[in-house]
Amino acid sequence: MSAFRLLGAVTRKELLDGLRDRRSLVTLVFSTVLTPVLLGVLLSTTAGSQRGAEDLALPVVGAEHAPAFVHWLGQQTGVRVVPGPADAEKAVLDRVEDVVLIIEPDFMERMSRAQTAEVKLVAESSRDRARPKISRVRALVGGYAGQLASLRLIARGVAPGIASPIRIEDVEVSSSQARLAALLSFLPLLLVIAGLVGGMQIAIDSTAGERERGSLEPLLLNPVPRWVIAGGKWLAASALGCASVLFSLVITVSVLRRIPWHDMGIRFRVTDGELFSLLLLLLPLAMLLAAVVLFASTFARSFKEAQGYMGMLMLVPMLPGMLATMYPLSRRPWLAPVPILGQYALASDVLGGQPPGAAGYLISGVAALICAVALVALTARAMTREHIVFGR
Amino acid sequence: MIAIDGLHKRFGDVHAVRGVTFTAVDGTVTGLLGPNGAGKTTTLRMLSGLMRPDAGSIRVDDADVVADPVGAQRVMGQLPDSRGLYPRLTAREHVEYFAQLHGLDRAATRARVSALLARLGLEPLADRRVAGFSQGERTKVALARALVHAPRNVILDEPTNGLDVMSTRAVREVIRGLREEGCCVVFSSHIMQEVSALCDRIVVIAAGTVVAEGTADELRAKSGRDNLEDAFVSLVGLDVEMPA
Repeated sequence: MSAFRLLGAVTRKELLDGLRDRRSLVTLVFSTVLTPVLLGVLLSTTAGSQRGAEDLALPVVGAEHAPAFVHWLGQQTGVRVVPGPADAEKAVLDRVEDVVLIIEPDFMERMSRAQTAEVKLVAESSRDRARPKISRVRALVGGYAGQLASLRLIARGVAPGIASPIRIEDVEVSSSQARLAALLSFLPLLLVIAGLVGGMQIAIDSTAGERERGSLEPLLLNPVPRWVIAGGKWLAASALGCASVLFSLVITVSVLRRIPWHDMGIRFRVTDGELFSLLLLLLPLAMLLAAVVLFASTFARSFKEAQGYMGMLMLVPMLPGMLATMYPLSRRPWLAPVPILGQYALASDVLGGQPPGAAGYLISGVAALICAVALVALTARAMTREHIVFGR
Repeated sequence: MIAIDGLHKRFGDVHAVRGVTFTAVDGTVTGLLGPNGAGKTTTLRMLSGLMRPDAGSIRVDDADVVADPVGAQRVMGQLPDSRGLYPRLTAREHVEYFAQLHGLDRAATRARVSALLARLGLEPLADRRVAGFSQGERTKVALARALVHAPRNVILDEPTNGLDVMSTRAVREVIRGLREEGCCVVFSSHIMQEVSALCDRIVVIAAGTVVAEGTADELRAKSGRDNLEDAFVSLVGLDVEMPA
């Protein structure tokens, strides 16, 4: 009887048992579908408000008080002046409008006397969606004022440069791919969490759950080496973890491909090759995380107790992931052998359009699997402890 | 055959098993009788290979349990203290899983599992998930998976605990059948009728040691009581004079 046939028997049983567990299926769906969809909605709204700022319908109250200004506004690219609402503040508060421009009746009079004329910008700046529009309108008014100032100086024989000692010129050097990578830095973290959560349920149920039901003792009475028992449980948890990463990636990418990236000035391009590279990096990591959960929950007497540990365990992949979002880890190939950090570093290289060589994948994958196998061996050892076998 | 010699086990300050020694031979049913906390379950756990004795030796057929627990487990079938089933698996799946773990091939598994389920009267329930099973049905499933590899040595920890009359009868029938097949059966119990109805030999355990051993008649003779229950109470040293 080969040990591998036994290993297969344990894995099959745990998968059968795990897939019949509604709890594990619900978490699997939750972790793979919900987050990408939420992200998609978030990014679409961002894109939508950007587009709103670029293709601006600007409500103006009192346009008749400043025909030249309003005419100028209407000539700017992407700006359409529309009649403003009777009660501007109410319209903004009721979210009928994001922003309303009010021109005071004495606009022309003050203008002709070269005094400062006033316009009111009615807006609710706590609304994220309105922000790009507000700053666009500010820039428009500022631009018009700047032009008028220059004309007034010229009319008085003064060079306009005297009034503006410093001018800012924006020079954008990041490529559209790099900006995309910055936006996508959440993606590896998302996938890693999906992998962790996907395998978690079955890993807990087959260890802490097994102890809680009192089924560990009968199971260990079979003439099977402990590493086969622990290994089979690990493989079953890994299979669900990997499936979760795979589904999550497919769903996330199909959501991302539907987002109007051009509205944000970004060209979205993630090739199938890059997706495959990400999988190559993250699947061994999902297997490692399954081993971490398996090992930790072997010490829990019940499913509930194990779930209590998971809050802390979630930090294991999340802290480096958040670190990677704040301090980009790209182009640090020497991180490859460090489990978790290495995967984040290499994943950000893949998304930045500079995929690591084959050695990078190999080193990070092998390092993660070595750690996983070590944890499985420790789990098998823990299963020989009397207080774990009999302690309920 | 099961030979236990000078078994000791301590849990911290508690010396739970103090030199338990007995032999159970093939074709007989040996009962471990003792009050709660006497050390029956601890003795059976050491016999199962899952708990290491502090001292003493255990042999099951040709295997040394302490040195080669896996080898001993191959020739033992055990119904441990915790019956622990998987609520989402059916009765048949439970038995098939353990058959696979014993290395039985597919054809042998199928035939053996069906025969066992029929013998325990579990056929109508075979393909139902065990989540809704009664105590008796759960015990029968646990018993079926313990016997799936046709073990020569069968160890049962309080097999009729919490069962109704019908289930108790079914379990007794199985135990008698195993004896007829020439198996070595050891079971523990604190129920007198159980032991006297089934056992060829009785080993009385109290406070971690064997206090008496023999047939029911021998035990009655040794204690000078006619009634096995009185004999038991006398042997385990709980004999207190009743006020007149």
